[in-house]
Amino acid sequence: MAWVPQMIRRLLDKPGSVDLTRFQATVAEAARLESEVRARPELLPPAEAAVGTAEFCAVVREAAVRTLGQRPYDVQLVGTLALLHGHVAEMATGEGKTLSGALAAAGFALRGRRVHVISVNDYLARRDAEWMAPLYQALGLTVGWIGQGSTPEERRAAYSRDVTYAAVSELGFDVLRDRLRTDPADLLVPAPEVALVDEADSVLVDEARVPLILAGAADPGRAAPEMAALVRRLSRGYHFEVDDEGRNVFLTAKGTDTVETALGISLYDHPGTVAEVNLALHAHALLTRDVDYIVRDGRVHLINPSRGRVALLQRWPDGLHAAVEAKERLAPSETGEILDSITIQGLLTRYPEICGMTGTAVAVGDQLREFYKREVAVIPPNRPCVRVDEPDRIFAAADDKVAAVVEEIAAQHATGRPVLVGTLDVAESERLDLRLRARGLAPVVLNAKNDAEEASIIARAGARGAITVSTQMAGRGTDIRLGGAAEEDGDDAEEAVRRLGGLYVIGTGRHDSSRLDDQLRGRAGRQGDPGGSVFFVSGEDVLLTAYAPDASLPDADADGVVRNPQAASTVGHAQRVAEGANLEIHRNTWRYTRLLERQRDELLERRDRILHEDTGARALEDACPERYAELRESAGEAAVERAARQIVLFHLDRCWTEHLAHMADVREGIHLRALGRLNPLDEFNREAVPAYRHLLDEIGRRSKETFESVDVTGDLAGQGLARPTATWTYLVQENPFGSEWDRVLSRVAAALKGGRRRR
Amino acid sequence: MLSAITRAFRTPDLRKKLLFTLGIIALFRLGSVLPTPGVNSENVAKALQQAQAGNSGSIYGMVQLFSGGALLKLSVFALGIMPYITASIILQLLTVVIPRLEALKKEGQAGTAKITQYTRYLTIGLAILQSTAFVALARSGQLFPNNNLPILLNEDIFTLITMVITMTAGTAVIMWLGELVTDRGIGNGMSILIFTQVVAVFPSELMNIFRQSAFKFVMVMIVGIVMIAVVVFIEQAQRRVPVQYAKRMVGRRMYGGTSTYIPLKVNQAGIIPVIFASSLLYLPQLLVTIFGRSENPGPVVEWLAQNLVTGDHPVYMATFFLLILFFTYFYVSITFNPVEVADNMKKYGGFIPGIRPGRPTAEYLNYVLTRLTAAGAPYLGVISLIPILALAVVGASQNFPFGGTSILIMVGVGLDTVKQIESQLQQRNYEGFLR
Repeated sequence: MAWVPQMIRRLLDKPGSVDLTRFQATVAEAARLESEVRARPELLPPAEAAVGTAEFCAVVREAAVRTLGQRPYDVQLVGTLALLHGHVAEMATGEGKTLSGALAAAGFALRGRRVHVISVNDYLARRDAEWMAPLYQALGLTVGWIGQGSTPEERRAAYSRDVTYAAVSELGFDVLRDRLRTDPADLLVPAPEVALVDEADSVLVDEARVPLILAGAADPGRAAPEMAALVRRLSRGYHFEVDDEGRNVFLTAKGTDTVETALGISLYDHPGTVAEVNLALHAHALLTRDVDYIVRDGRVHLINPSRGRVALLQRWPDGLHAAVEAKERLAPSETGEILDSITIQGLLTRYPEICGMTGTAVAVGDQLREFYKREVAVIPPNRPCVRVDEPDRIFAAADDKVAAVVEEIAAQHATGRPVLVGTLDVAESERLDLRLRARGLAPVVLNAKNDAEEASIIARAGARGAITVSTQMAGRGTDIRLGGAAEEDGDDAEEAVRRLGGLYVIGTGRHDSSRLDDQLRGRAGRQGDPGGSVFFVSGEDVLLTAYAPDASLPDADADGVVRNPQAASTVGHAQRVAEGANLEIHRNTWRYTRLLERQRDELLERRDRILHEDTGARALEDACPERYAELRESAGEAAVERAARQIVLFHLDRCWTEHLAHMADVREGIHLRALGRLNPLDEFNREAVPAYRHLLDEIGRRSKETFESVDVTGDLAGQGLARPTATWTYLVQENPFGSEWDRVLSRVAAALKGGRRRR
Repeated sequence: MLSAITRAFRTPDLRKKLLFTLGIIALFRLGSVLPTPGVNSENVAKALQQAQAGNSGSIYGMVQLFSGGALLKLSVFALGIMPYITASIILQLLTVVIPRLEALKKEGQAGTAKITQYTRYLTIGLAILQSTAFVALARSGQLFPNNNLPILLNEDIFTLITMVITMTAGTAVIMWLGELVTDRGIGNGMSILIFTQVVAVFPSELMNIFRQSAFKFVMVMIVGIVMIAVVVFIEQAQRRVPVQYAKRMVGRRMYGGTSTYIPLKVNQAGIIPVIFASSLLYLPQLLVTIFGRSENPGPVVEWLAQNLVTGDHPVYMATFFLLILFFTYFYVSITFNPVEVADNMKKYGGFIPGIRPGRPTAEYLNYVLTRLTAAGAPYLGVISLIPILALAVVGASQNFPFGGTSILIMVGVGLDTVKQIESQLQQRNYEGFLR
C-alpha cells in the first residue's frame, strides 16, 4: 500500500509527486525488446519520432552496453524518460545520474534539438563528455565540451556539436561576451534550446541569484593600504560592531571619532572616504581567511560556501576585493567596471526547455515550480537505501561538541570502519585535523587548499580504516566506493568494509539548508550499501546564534549533552529560518533583476539590429543628414556604415554599463521607500523606467556627438575588453522595518517584555 | 491618469487583469445585495428607509461603512471583510504572545503561509459567531429598534441555520475573492474590496440628496470634489531626506541628483488616527444609549448627551479634532521609530550627508518628522471635520457621503492602485532613438 501516500501527495499537488507509472511501463516493455535488440549486428540510432518509446530505451541501453560496458538499470531509464519530459529527476547518490543524463541528452539531440549539459565545474564537464563520447558516437551524435582554458575556436567547435558539456559559468560568460561583440562573425553561442542541468538544486536554486559579471579592465584597485592599517587598530565592540547575522559591520561613535582624528577630516562630509573605511572594515571584520577565502600564490581566492571549493573566477564586487588584498598586504589585482551581468537564473530561463537531475530536489520542489515551472520526479533507487541516520547529538558548548566528535571518530576508527567527516569551512577542517593527529590518528584532509588531490583522496575514502576530513567539497557529486576504488583493493576489501557497517558519515554541524545535510549523508549508503550518518550540533554553532538567537536550547545534562527532545526542534527551527531567509533573498534578487533583464533583452534586440543591419547608420543619417552626406562623399557608404555601427555600439554598451551602476545604487537604498508606505519594488520600477528612457536618449545624443566630431576613416576601436570576472552579491533586505503592523507589534512586544522584566 | 487607464486597457495582459478585477468587484457587489434566504427583503427595505429618515442607523456607522450597506440588508455578503480583518489583527497580535507563532513567522514564506491558513480558519470562526449574533438580533427585532416589521420570513431553527451557514460561506467567498484579486488582478485584494464598499453607498446617498434639493446636491458635489483634490495633493506630499550608501566604490555617474532618500510623508500616519478618534467618540454615544433610558440619568450622562453625541455640537467637533491630533502624533511615534531607522541605516552603511550615523541621525529624523506632522495632524483633523461643518452649513442630513474616513480610504486605495497600474504600464513601451 506504499502508493497510497504517494496518491495523496499527488492529489495535494505536492512537489515530487510526478506519476512514474507510464515511464515504468515503457521501461518494462523495453526489457522485453532487449534480447531482440542485442541480436542486431548494427545498432541504428532510433528515429526522431521513436524518442521516449520502449524501442528507444532498448536501443540506448544496448548502445551503452556495447560502448561503455555498462547496462543502464531500469530506474536509470525511468530517470531518462522523466528528463525527456522536462522534469527534475531526484536520483540518489551512486545511481548513475551521469548516464541517465547522457541518454536523455541523446534523446533530445535525436529529436533535432541542440542540448547544453550544464555541469557543476570544468572538470566534470570534460570528464563526462569524454566518458560518454563513444555512446553519443554510437547513436550518430557529436559531443563537445568547454573549459575555462578553451580558445574561441574550440568553443565555437564545441557549440556546433549536438551535445555540449559546459560549466554554467563558462556558458554564462560566453553569452555575456557575445552581448558585447561588435562584429557578427565573432558570435559564439547559438540560440538556446535545451538545458540539462546536473546538480539541479545547487545550480537552479542555491546559485540562481549569483550574477555572472563581465567587467572591463579599469585602473588597479583603489583600496589604500593605509585604510587597512587604520582599521587593523580598531577593536570590535568598542570601535565597531558586527550585526547578528555577521553580514554587516559599522563604526560606533567612538570608532568614528578615532577615524576622524586619524584622517583629520569630518568623515560624513566625504562619502568617498566613508566608502573606503567601510570596505576596509568589511574586509577586516567580516571576511575571514580560510573561511571565506584562501591566499594562494599571492592572490586572494574566494571559497564557494555551498560547495567548499575555490571559486576560481569569482571576485568580490565594488572595491571589496581590493580591500581584502590590502588587508592581506598583497599587490592589488586589476579591478573592473561592470559592463554587463546576468544571473544564473536569467541565463537558464533563456532556454525553452530545462530539465535536470540531483540527489535532493523535493526540498526545493516549490521553488523549482515557482521560478522554473518544473516538477520533481522522484526516481526510486535501484536497491533500497539501508543507511542508518542517527538523530543529531546536541551539545550546549562548542568545545564539548568537538571533543565528542573526536571521540566518535576514534571509536568508529577503532573498528576499522571508514569515516568521512564533513566540516563547515576550511579552518574548521584544519583544526579538526590537528586534534585528530594529536590523538595519534592519521586523517586525510580534503579542502579548497588541496583540491588537486581530490580524485585520489576520494578514491581512498571508502577503504578500511580511512579517516577523511573534508569541507563541503565531499558533500556533493563525489562517489565514495566501499573498500576504496583502486584496483589493488579488490572485492574482498569491499566485502570487509561492508561487514563493518560501511562508510560512517559525521557532520560537525548542520548546514543552513537541509539539502546540504542530506547530500553529506548521501555519501554513505550508495546503491544499497550499508552505512551510517550522524550530525553533531552545539548551541554555539553559527546556525543557531545567527538564525535563532532568541531561542535558547534546553539545559544540558552534566556531560554537556542536551537530551531534551525540544532541542532538536530548536535546531530544525534555526535551519528553517535560514532556508526561509535564503529563499526570500533569492526571490527578491529575482524580482529586482527581472526588470533589468527585460530592459537588457529589449536593448539587445536593438543591438542585434545594429550589429547585423544598418540601423545605426540610418539613425545617424536621420539625426545629422549633412554630416552623413559629407562623410559619404569623402569615405564612401560602406566605411560610414561601419563607423556608424562602431560608434552606436560603443555608446550603447557604455550607457548600459552606467545604467547598471546607477540602478545598483538605487537598489541599495530602495527599501527606505517603505517608510513612506510605498512599495519598494514598484518604486524601483518607477526609477528604472525613466532611467532606461534616458539611456536611450543618451545613446542617441552621444552617438550623434561622436559622429559629428570623429574621423571615421581612422581607428575607431574603443577600449579592449578585459578578462571577465564573476562575482559575489551582497544584499539589502527588502523591508527591514517590516510592515506598518509589524512595527506597531514590535513596539507592543517590546513594551510587554520590558514590563515583564521590570516585574 | 485617464490616458493611463485607456493605455492600460490597450495592453493585453493588463487589460485581462483589470477586467478580472472588475469582474470580481461585480460579483462582490452582487453578493452584497443578494438577500440571504429567509429574509423578508420587502420589510428590510422599509425598515432601512425608516432608519435612514431617523438617525438611528449611525449606531453601526463604522461597520456599515465597511460593509457598504450590506450588513443591514442581511445579504449573503452581510459580514463583508470585517471578520477577515479582525482575524488578521488577532493573529498578528498573537504572534507577539505565542512563541510557536513567533517561530513560524520567522521561518519565512513557509511559516507565513501557515499563519495565513490559521487566519482563514479564524475568519470562519468569527464569521459563524457574527452571523449567529446578527441572525439573533434580526429575529428579536433589535436590528432596527424603531421598527416592528418582521424581518425574517420564517423563524424555525432550519431557516436560522441556513442563514448562518449562508453568511459564513459568504465571508469565506469574500476572502477568496480578495485573494484572487491580489494574485491575479490589480492592487491589494482586501483594499480593493474595502474601496468598493466605501464607494458603493455614494450613488444612492447622492441620489437622496438630489431628491431633497438640487442646490444641496451641487454644493455637496463641489465640496466633495475639492476635498478629494486636497486629499490627493496632501497624501502625495513628502519630504525627501537624502541618504547615501557608502559600501561600494561607485564609478562615473551618468545622472545628477540622488534617488536614494527616505520619503517622509506629510500625512505619515495615514487613516488610522481618524478611525481611532471616531471609535473613541462612539463611546459617549454608547454610554448615553445604555444609561439614557433610566429615570434619572445623572448629570454626566446628560452632559454627554448634550455635547458629545450629535456631530454638529462645537464641543464634539473640538474633541474630535484634538483626539485626531493626539492620535496622529501617537501613531507616527509608534510606526516610525527614528532610532530604529537610524540604526538600520548605520548597519547597512547608509548616512545622511553631513550627519553622523546613529544618534545624531535619529535626532535629525525626529526633528524633521515632528515638524512635518505638525502640518499633517491638523490636515487630518480638518479633513475629518469638513463634512460635519459642511453639513451644518448646508443642512444636509447625517448621511453626507464624503465623510473624512471614506475620502481618505477612497483616495488612499485609489492612488495605490493607479500607481501599480502605471508601474506595470511603464515596464512596456519604451520609445526613443533607435526604435
